[in-house]
Amino acid sequence: MFFATPALILVSAFLGIPIIQAGYFSLTEWNGIDAKWLGISAYLQEFKNPIFWRVLENNGLLLLGVPVAILFPMGIAFLLNEKVAGWKIFRSIYFLPTAISWVVIGMVSMRFFAQEGLLNEMLKAFGLGFIKTDLLSSEKGALFAVAITFIWSMVGTNSIIFLTGMATLDQSLNEAARMDGAGNFRIFRSITLPQLNRFIQFSFIITVISAFTALFSLIFVMTGGGPGFGTTTLEFFIFQSAFSRGNFGTGAMLGVILFFMMAILGIGQLLLMRKKDE
Amino acid sequence: MRSRKYSPKTVTVFIAMCVLAVVMLYPFAFMINTSFKSKAQYFGAPGHSTASWGKLFDTLPVWKQLLNSTLVCAGAISIILVVATMAGFAIAKMRSKATPIFFLGIVGAMLIPLQSIIIPAYINASKLNLLNGYWGAIFVYAALGSPFATFLMTSYFRGIPDDLVEAAIVDGLSYPKVFLKIALPLAVPAIITVIVLQFIQVWDDLLVGLLFIQDPAYRTITVGLGALSAGRVTDIPVLMAGSLVSAIPAVVVYLIFQRQLVNGLTAGIGK
Repeated sequence: MFFATPALILVSAFLGIPIIQAGYFSLTEWNGIDAKWLGISAYLQEFKNPIFWRVLENNGLLLLGVPVAILFPMGIAFLLNEKVAGWKIFRSIYFLPTAISWVVIGMVSMRFFAQEGLLNEMLKAFGLGFIKTDLLSSEKGALFAVAITFIWSMVGTNSIIFLTGMATLDQSLNEAARMDGAGNFRIFRSITLPQLNRFIQFSFIITVISAFTALFSLIFVMTGGGPGFGTTTLEFFIFQSAFSRGNFGTGAMLGVILFFMMAILGIGQLLLMRKKDE
Repeated sequence: MRSRKYSPKTVTVFIAMCVLAVVMLYPFAFMINTSFKSKAQYFGAPGHSTASWGKLFDTLPVWKQLLNSTLVCAGAISIILVVATMAGFAIAKMRSKATPIFFLGIVGAMLIPLQSIIIPAYINASKLNLLNGYWGAIFVYAALGSPFATFLMTSYFRGIPDDLVEAAIVDGLSYPKVFLKIALPLAVPAIITVIVLQFIQVWDDLLVGLLFIQDPAYRTITVGLGALSAGRVTDIPVLMAGSLVSAIPAVVVYLIFQRQLVNGLTAGIGK
């Protein structure tokens, strides 16, 4: 196993040991230097904190965007799969945001949703000027704007996943079903969807993981977690607790909670896949 | 071959795709258009100018930060390549009792969110004096990227026939020689995938750079920009010019290595 040693050392030093430390420090009151042992009451204390639940609610609300972030790209993949003139160029364009940092996306998105931004100009152009909103100034509005930006940025990734899936579809099944008199919808539901199952699962996992762990920079740039705690998600709350308030123990605890959420998701996925294989 | 008839359906699909293309390209159009305006022009005065581009280079040490980004990327990617190719080879071709456990550990490490380890890792790095130069960020990026890279390399090396390796061993080559002379040259496509994925990941990252690079002189362009925007600089055209500069390298890499990026993304789906 000599060959595996460098990887083992690197991953242990910067991921393995810190996650164990996080487990320990989550049970303490810690300012980064001195840690006072609190035990499980540290968690119980945090569960009584209304802001903690507010933050989880934000995560929950963001999850409402996940079906859109999956179904919309699935539709796009179907369009791309028609292979009309220029489809490869369109594919490249849709996937392009994958290369752009959240910092840049956030900065542009902020102007888009602003009072004088394109959103309001478009509303005005459609004669809906009376709706004129400053989404980022209200708690729910700002979260909505973050969710829309998130969905936009997932379009490329998820479209590519489904396009890959569609390349694996067995066309002869469709023709056989058509001979038997099945309509388009029936073919989609009973033949196409089951074949795409693996890809739907994968895009679901990627999208949920992104919603929980990839939006720090977007929120940092776009809203700073506000207004109030309007757009503070768990991952952002970790950063705030530790680096804005100096509660390193609380930050570590929130990190442990996030870790367990993601681990349950990952293990659930593995079990689901294993069940299918049998 | 599909014949290209201009049926109503084809035309509808084409128009829908054009609309979507506009939506996806909007940020670029906005950045380019805005960066060529002065502050007054952004707020309504007519015309365009290059004033904001001039200002950008006074506001942000652009060249220095591009260099910093390049160095951090190069450092992290080099470490990832060394450890991931070696570990992938060990898992795929030098199987022992410990292999399954090690592989499970690597897959498990992929599940650890950055935010879960960042606080202890930050305190550790500060105690080890790693926050003053590039090294703290380089090591954290390398550790974060290595599990998935190892996973990719493992599946790639598994595709190389065992016979090939065994024949070479019988011929008297040692494992390190087989690794360097046979396995690595065959793995070039996978190596390129790892480089492209990690380059975009590290180049675009804010959080690790923000915390693990304390000295502003070592900041990457993405972190420099993030800090500027969080400082509520109101000169939006300057910010947009900066955004454009920071985005260009990653976009160029994307345009050249699109296929490798897609391969990397879909590698996780499994068979």
